[in-house]
Amino acid sequence: MQDNIAETKPLAPKAVPALGETAVYAKGEAVRILDRTPIGHYRVPLYLRGKHGVIESVIEPTGLNNEEEGYGRNAGSKLHYYRVAIPMTEIWPGYTGSPRDGLRIEIFETWLERN
Amino acid sequence: MTQTEQLLKRLPNDIGGTSADPISVVDHELEPWERRCHALADVLDFHKIINTEEKRRGVEALGTELVGKLSYYERWIACFANILFQKGILTPEELALKMKEVESRWDDFDKESTQAARS
Amino acid sequence: MAHEENGHDHDHDHSHAEIGQTERPGYYDNLETVVRELLVSKGYFGPDEIRRQIEVLDSRTPALGAMVVARAWADDAFRKRLLDDGRAACEELGITFYDQTGLIVLENTDKVHNLIVCTLCSCYPRPVLGLPPDWYKLKPYRARAVSEPRKVLAEFGTIIPDDVEIRVSDSTAMVRFLVLPKRPEGTEDFDEVQLAAIVTRDTMIGVVEASKDIRRGE
Repeated sequence: MQDNIAETKPLAPKAVPALGETAVYAKGEAVRILDRTPIGHYRVPLYLRGKHGVIESVIEPTGLNNEEEGYGRNAGSKLHYYRVAIPMTEIWPGYTGSPRDGLRIEIFETWLERN
Repeated sequence: MTQTEQLLKRLPNDIGGTSADPISVVDHELEPWERRCHALADVLDFHKIINTEEKRRGVEALGTELVGKLSYYERWIACFANILFQKGILTPEELALKMKEVESRWDDFDKESTQAARS
Repeated sequence: MAHEENGHDHDHDHSHAEIGQTERPGYYDNLETVVRELLVSKGYFGPDEIRRQIEVLDSRTPALGAMVVARAWADDAFRKRLLDDGRAACEELGITFYDQTGLIVLENTDKVHNLIVCTLCSCYPRPVLGLPPDWYKLKPYRARAVSEPRKVLAEFGTIIPDDVEIRVSDSTAMVRFLVLPKRPEGTEDFDEVQLAAIVTRDTMIGVVEASKDIRRGE
């Protein structure tokens, strides 16, 4: 079925998404949360800085960077948040629960890099 | 990180993973003013006069001592006043004068109650 | 409110009965009145907006979340829609999202136990559960739920076997989380009303498991 669609002549030219509209990271991708130390206001807790995880899902729709919202910027370019899965043993070297246990958090696109 | 860097870089609210006491399963019914304060926060956000993220930043900006000692809604109302000053929406003088007026309403009330008790 | 019955009049623009107080308010109570009245007098919003929002807040209680969970337990198609798009499924049941947050519903199973927390502040699925309890906003829970969730759960009397994965969701942004607890055994014959009655707030935070013998207080 997919092949047929691809072969059909499109009814209109391809719509080009604006910068930031398309998610940079995909479900299942390995990422690292950046190890930055901004001052003033941030929404990435210290205990997760520099930790490695996997994108569990892309949060739709896009949202404002809440570090900027914190200073009253109520509009502007939006990017995606990602629900990132991080094993507890990655965060806490001495973690005593089950090695399967994990943490989930939403991280703004500019705080991630590919692993 | 040096000690002063640590003070600058760790927000008073960023406490995930720090050591803390056992859980005490406490709760309380909100005071009428606490409910009003919560509704005020929501309305301030609806109008983007103070959005929710600015409120969080404003609470952090109170500093570790106040964040530690004020109750939840005490922190909120203190940060609203500070942010409204910063935005030029209210002035400290206006707030001080209005505070006197609001406090004096209860002088009348006390006087009336005393009179009522005597009569 | 005895003084109101005296029919006294004075020149301020409210009645004491309206603001529901019979004794001298404290400093922060007055501060709230000051900020609100100044903003109203400057035209930033009307007093009706605050009154309405108090009504909105009062109408949001764990009974709403319990209704959602009971429907998901009773109706598998709804359960799938709920897990696919939590907000849209709640909206089907008339629950609006006045705070513009999204909702991800996290399903507890035989293999996974979910727990929600907000380490940075007190993010909580307010449209569906109302305001969070104090313990949720205090340091011990916020600090420890992300680093030693099994110990925290044990302090709530919840023991999760080691072969069950614990997933802690730390809320920080635009999405809130609601735990869909496991339907307890022995409830096969329950209708939705009976099911909703055993869904407590704490089961939807994930600190306890639902039990057919524990009912939600109001």
